[in-house]
Amino acid sequence: MSTLTQPPETGASDFDALLARRRFRWPRIWRQPLMIIGSVVIALWLLVAIFAPLLEPQNPLAQGSARLTAPSAAHWFGTDTLGRDVLSRIIAGSRVSLPLAIVLVILSMVLGSILGALAGYLGRVVDEVIMRITDLVFAFPTIILAMVVAAALGPGLQNAVLALLLVSWPQYARVMRSMVIGARNNEYVVAGRLLGAGVATSLIRDVLPNVIAPILVLATLDFGNAILLFSGLSFLGLGTVPPTPEWGSMVSDGVKQFSSWWIATFSGMAIFSIVVAFNFLGDSLRDVLDPRSQRTVGGRSI
Amino acid sequence: MAAPVARVSLKERGMNRSIKIITAVAAAAAVSWAVTACGDGNNGGGTSANGQATKTLTANDTFDLKTADPARSFEFTGGTVVHQLYQTVLGFKGNSVKDLIPQLCSYTISKDNKTVTLTLDGTHHFSDGSPVTVDDIVFSFKRLQGIKGNPSFMLDGVDVEKVDDKTVKLVSKTPNPQLPYILPNTSLGIVNSKQVKAHGGTEGTDDKAEQWLDGHSEGSGPYELESYNAQSQVVFKANPHYDGPKPTYNRVVLQNVDASTQKVNVQAGTAQLAYSLGPDQVKDLDKSKASVLTDESTETIFMWFNMDPQYGKEVSNPTFIQGIRHAIDYSKLLDLAGTGAIQPGGMVPVSFLGGLKSDPANSYDLAKAKQLISQSGYSGQTISVLYSEDVSAGSAQMGDIVQSVQAQLKAVGVNLKLNPQPSSTSLDSFRSGKMQAGIAYWGADYPDPADYLVFTPDQSLAMRAQWTTARGKKDAKLAAAASAANGDAARSAAYIAMQKQMNIDGPFIPLFQPASITVAATSLKDVVPNPVLGISFGDIH
Repeated sequence: MSTLTQPPETGASDFDALLARRRFRWPRIWRQPLMIIGSVVIALWLLVAIFAPLLEPQNPLAQGSARLTAPSAAHWFGTDTLGRDVLSRIIAGSRVSLPLAIVLVILSMVLGSILGALAGYLGRVVDEVIMRITDLVFAFPTIILAMVVAAALGPGLQNAVLALLLVSWPQYARVMRSMVIGARNNEYVVAGRLLGAGVATSLIRDVLPNVIAPILVLATLDFGNAILLFSGLSFLGLGTVPPTPEWGSMVSDGVKQFSSWWIATFSGMAIFSIVVAFNFLGDSLRDVLDPRSQRTVGGRSI
Repeated sequence: MAAPVARVSLKERGMNRSIKIITAVAAAAAVSWAVTACGDGNNGGGTSANGQATKTLTANDTFDLKTADPARSFEFTGGTVVHQLYQTVLGFKGNSVKDLIPQLCSYTISKDNKTVTLTLDGTHHFSDGSPVTVDDIVFSFKRLQGIKGNPSFMLDGVDVEKVDDKTVKLVSKTPNPQLPYILPNTSLGIVNSKQVKAHGGTEGTDDKAEQWLDGHSEGSGPYELESYNAQSQVVFKANPHYDGPKPTYNRVVLQNVDASTQKVNVQAGTAQLAYSLGPDQVKDLDKSKASVLTDESTETIFMWFNMDPQYGKEVSNPTFIQGIRHAIDYSKLLDLAGTGAIQPGGMVPVSFLGGLKSDPANSYDLAKAKQLISQSGYSGQTISVLYSEDVSAGSAQMGDIVQSVQAQLKAVGVNLKLNPQPSSTSLDSFRSGKMQAGIAYWGADYPDPADYLVFTPDQSLAMRAQWTTARGKKDAKLAAAASAANGDAARSAAYIAMQKQMNIDGPFIPLFQPASITVAATSLKDVVPNPVLGISFGDIH
């Protein structure tokens, strides 16, 4: 009925509307379901981390409730060995795992990229020295090496980041080096050098913009890995110091109290959801930013 | 008192055992017992060499097993294995750790507590049929001392002499009233000296019999080894020459299984005994299939503070420690540790001679705590608390206990910072004597209060808290009196007086004794866990 009473639209306005719709159309990358799922989950966790104190039903450190009660209306995720609310601790745990993963990934990306870029750009001795060190780190299983470092330094957040940083920079160095080697002999780079640009200027102005995309993809994929590694360290008692709530150490508590399934299950699901979300995001980003590998693997990876 | 070197090994043992005993809270669940006397054959049923039907008992433990050589065995599972294979000169009655009974020998102790005379009753035989002689006892004891293994300290300063074919004399240089209580220890099992010597056994560090003993038992106990694998399982079969009632179960399989699987096994009936389940894990067991046996353990969990102001800072003040004694809500810790845990009055377990049942000095009283703590001059400084994160006591992880104490002390304004370390490094840190405070545990090596003299001023454990005689003059005097006391009544009174004084100005706060839990199938009868010896499979019906 109402449509009939509307004035007929002109052809020109039809065309405008079409244009407008085109303009507001989500970019292709945002139309991939994995990307959407991943982003939504990550966004939710970020909100949880930011508003944790408002969302926690109870103080995550308060030991007031009955011990080891199964999930109920009062405690949605049950209580742990000391009578603390598991839901509150999982919410509080996001404030440890998420920022830590971000810090870790950024630090290892920066450190690895700088070393890799120098190795690739300068070559010869610098290249040999840096790349042999990366080989050395790669030769050890990541978690074992991180454990050794964390055990030597003692448990604690700072030491855990240091230990994980030590084992996670080499992959950035390798990728960066290969990209820089590919880019450094391009005419525009050589021209830049001939115009008098130094190493740093040349790297930052001429090389970096052309190699940054794969590094960003790698970093996104690495978020999940960082959270897993850190949870692993905490599981082994080398991450956070109690009573700080942390997902990995909660899983460890739950394994020791194997009759109370809810402790390990919910904290494990928290780790699982965020790691999978970051992997979805990373994969989708790679498909968009790095079309060559997409062609190689024959379409979207899952 | 043992020599300082021995004390190191003693401590290690205390720790190792604790980790084990405490984690391995034993409980026995029994489910439908598939193999009975009329054996259906699905679990080794059949007929044994002596014509008896085979009845198999399956026990589950999380192995802490290094050797089946009694003179070297020092671990929880090792003790359980050795206990079935080797008899000792004296034993404990039932689950008591006070009532001694003769096993191979009867004993007398001299007035000055320096000489223990053992008289062999001569009715016992090794599994190869040869009789147990005085020479076997002398060899076994001398071998224990000579190979300088972990349990060697138990006979430190004791001279073993053969008097005649019936009598052995154990002469100590200093009064040693605890010696009879040391003799039932499984490490002091008597081995067949001819066989062991034939396979490389000596009375010195060149002894090479361990490998042989890991496959062949040379004892006079109710069982002999059928097979031995320190990683997966140990199988026992009845010793045909055992001088005593034939065991109901003539075959016992001890399996290495993790705790969660033990629970499944015991509910499904594939195991009749489970050693490693904690109080929280046995709560939902089917009571018709499995019964939970709770017994006092010989572990004491305690909090300690460094008495040297250089390391202890504000905590090296007895008034402050007194305040903490009243600030801890012991009932919450007992709740954490689970059914059967108790709060002792002093460091000595309450079932021991000289055990202090309770002491008002260690009681929850917030007002008093606040007053004492403010009186001590403490004003909110952070106190670092060392503990072993990989150890559990009763159903609680050490970390849970420390976190509970942390929350309780927060209520009186005391701030604890946790310093968790794996037990391998936390032990070294504790021994260094440079840590500020901590929560630790001590497992008795033998059930006598003399084992707790290490906590008195200037002794090994007290020095980890820098507690010197100068800082505990009265305590040192009472400790000397206790170690010199004669006769059970006088010794008990002296040790109790010593512990009461230690609760006034000492650095140790006894927190609780966890329970030892065994789950046994309801089909089993007479399962008696002894805090020192464990369960004798031969007594189970």
